[in-house]
Amino acid sequence: MLRVTEGSTSRGALVGLQASAGRLSALQQQLSSGRQITKPSDDPTGTVSALQLRSQLKQITQYQASATDALGWLTTVDSAYSSITGQLQQVRTLVLQGMNTGTGSAGSNTAIAQQVDQARASLLSLANASYLGRPVFGGTTAGTVAFDSTGAYVGDTGTVSRTVGPNTTVDLNTPGTTAFGPNGSNLFDLLSTISSDLVSNPTNLGADLTALDARQVAITGDQSLAGAKYQRIQGVQTTSSTDTIQLKSQLSDLQDIDLADMAVQVSSANAAYQAALATTAKISQISLLDFLR
Amino acid sequence: MSSFSGLTDALTALNAARYALDVTGQNISNANTPGYVRQRAELAEAGPVAGVAALYATQHADSTVTVTGTSRLNDPVVDMRARSEHGRNGYLQTTASTLSGVEALFNEPSDTGLAEQLNDFWNSWAAVANNPGDSAARNVVLQKAASVAGTLNEASAALGRLSQSLTDQAGSTVTQINTATGELAQLNSAIAVGTATGASDNQLLDQRDGLLMKLSDLAGAQATINPDGTATVTIGGQNVVNSTTATAVSVNASNQLDVGGTIAGTAGGQLQGLLDGLTSTLPNYAGQLDAVAAALAGTANAAQTGGYDLAGNPGGPLFSGSTAGTISVAVTDPTKLAASGTPGGNLDGSVALAMSQLGNAPAGADASYRTLIGTLATDSQRASQQATVQQSVTDSVDALAQSSAGVSIDEETSNLLTYQRSYQASSRVLTTVDETLDVLINHTGRAGL
Repeated sequence: MLRVTEGSTSRGALVGLQASAGRLSALQQQLSSGRQITKPSDDPTGTVSALQLRSQLKQITQYQASATDALGWLTTVDSAYSSITGQLQQVRTLVLQGMNTGTGSAGSNTAIAQQVDQARASLLSLANASYLGRPVFGGTTAGTVAFDSTGAYVGDTGTVSRTVGPNTTVDLNTPGTTAFGPNGSNLFDLLSTISSDLVSNPTNLGADLTALDARQVAITGDQSLAGAKYQRIQGVQTTSSTDTIQLKSQLSDLQDIDLADMAVQVSSANAAYQAALATTAKISQISLLDFLR
Repeated sequence: MSSFSGLTDALTALNAARYALDVTGQNISNANTPGYVRQRAELAEAGPVAGVAALYATQHADSTVTVTGTSRLNDPVVDMRARSEHGRNGYLQTTASTLSGVEALFNEPSDTGLAEQLNDFWNSWAAVANNPGDSAARNVVLQKAASVAGTLNEASAALGRLSQSLTDQAGSTVTQINTATGELAQLNSAIAVGTATGASDNQLLDQRDGLLMKLSDLAGAQATINPDGTATVTIGGQNVVNSTTATAVSVNASNQLDVGGTIAGTAGGQLQGLLDGLTSTLPNYAGQLDAVAAALAGTANAAQTGGYDLAGNPGGPLFSGSTAGTISVAVTDPTKLAASGTPGGNLDGSVALAMSQLGNAPAGADASYRTLIGTLATDSQRASQQATVQQSVTDSVDALAQSSAGVSIDEETSNLLTYQRSYQASSRVLTTVDETLDVLINHTGRAGL
């Protein structure tokens, strides 16, 4: 039979009290930090998952920033192309006017040619449209323009791309030569030709008009490509917002406490601790000496 | 039968009762003394001398009482078990505390730990990829790289400090062990003398058991109690106390336990916990941390040297050093960061983009670091669970030992009553015999006068 002594009772009580106090303290630590996992050993698998989720969340945030940046780039491209299309329509009208007036009125054709020159200058500035200081039609050039003042392409054929989602990298640009034509026969060379043909060689205007229409087709084609990319990126953005919410809720499930549950646990641990203290105080008070007279 | 033998018998009983009262008093005095084992006065019948022929023997009441000794009421088997559980407890508690120290140093999962800093570092490259000409984005990369390198340096230094603190603790533990073994050797000689001369050496035995328990806690010492009460103690298979000789222990340069010039086997207790921490736990995590640093420097530098900086020159390594303690950022000029995949000084961002994805590399720094934290978490959890279980085993064995050796006030009080009554009754016997003799001597007629 196990003998019970004052020493063993108080030892046992102390061990029990320590355990209750320890549980209470651990719960309070979780409650005050708001975290279920206050150190890796609280939940080894949870810790590793939490680290992975955190890394994914950070990446998605970065993807979203890149997507916003990409949308800004594509908006610049789109509005430049829209303005260019409008300008080209005007040039087309001017060319038709020049064809109709014929060779007879050189004076009026000179005026038309001047308007074409104006349009060329305006188109050149549109073709040098920039986003955050970079010409959007210049590839990866470090310079500030895609086309120099003579209308020659000075950009490169590099690709500007944004990673907007896991394994989703979108090439934002096509080099300026695709839409505007290769150096020597690009839009600006064509406009110079039109300008001089208006004055000196109106018979060639028909051919010029065909060439102009071909450029217009190329530009519209590139604009619709940019539009398609815009839509694709928007789609990815929506997905990543949904992913963010899911990841955040998973992370929260893993590492954050359930306040209501925790409050109940703390108060029950507190009650257990108080009960243990009260009982210990009562039991240790009596001995045989109290009853010997 | 002598007329006066009744008086002698009563006197013997009085003495025995008084002695038993003394022992009870001693128990009560030491009820709260640590290491005190309760004692009991052993009373026995003292009969007539045996083997005397009835012809020569006088007729005599059967026997009186005698004190044969004062026994020490411990349970040697339980004590031995308690010592071995204490040794194991010391070892597991120290191991758990070392691992929890390592755990505290990494501070994961948090918004400030190394994992999050690595995420920030890789992500800062995405901003450079989006805008390779932006010097602000490039500066951010350098800052993030410096903070990752700084955190690795600090973690490595903190592991070093932890290791130094374990070394210091091991040193102080060795000093305590040597003090205890020295005291035990002296006690052994006193106990041997006491046993030989028949003196009561219960107090010395209490001290002996206290020292043995201390040695178990400190070094998982194994003790053998010899018939004369002396103790022989071994640590890791090597004798440290043999009769009156104590052999000094020390920890050598490669953190092995050295007993008088011989390398001891696996000991136990706190000392073994500290030595295991120094020889395996800490080097293991330091190695894993170095692997993280090496993976970081390796992947980042490989990508960088394959690219071109803002001026179009080939990129150089971003990090120098490949251990956690030595890693540092080698690039100081933000324009020297390689973001472009083609030469010529363009604004291509393909290398920066590739850098921003390196955090997902299967053998990259992030994966190695997650493995480190996962291993650490599992190890620490297991160690602390083992320590908790062992603590409760130790507590229950202690309770068992206390159950035989502890003083119960109720029991001692009831013993007080018993011996008090016995003393009173013996006094009454004395008075009664005295009165009887008084009648015989003083009041039995006046014949012959």
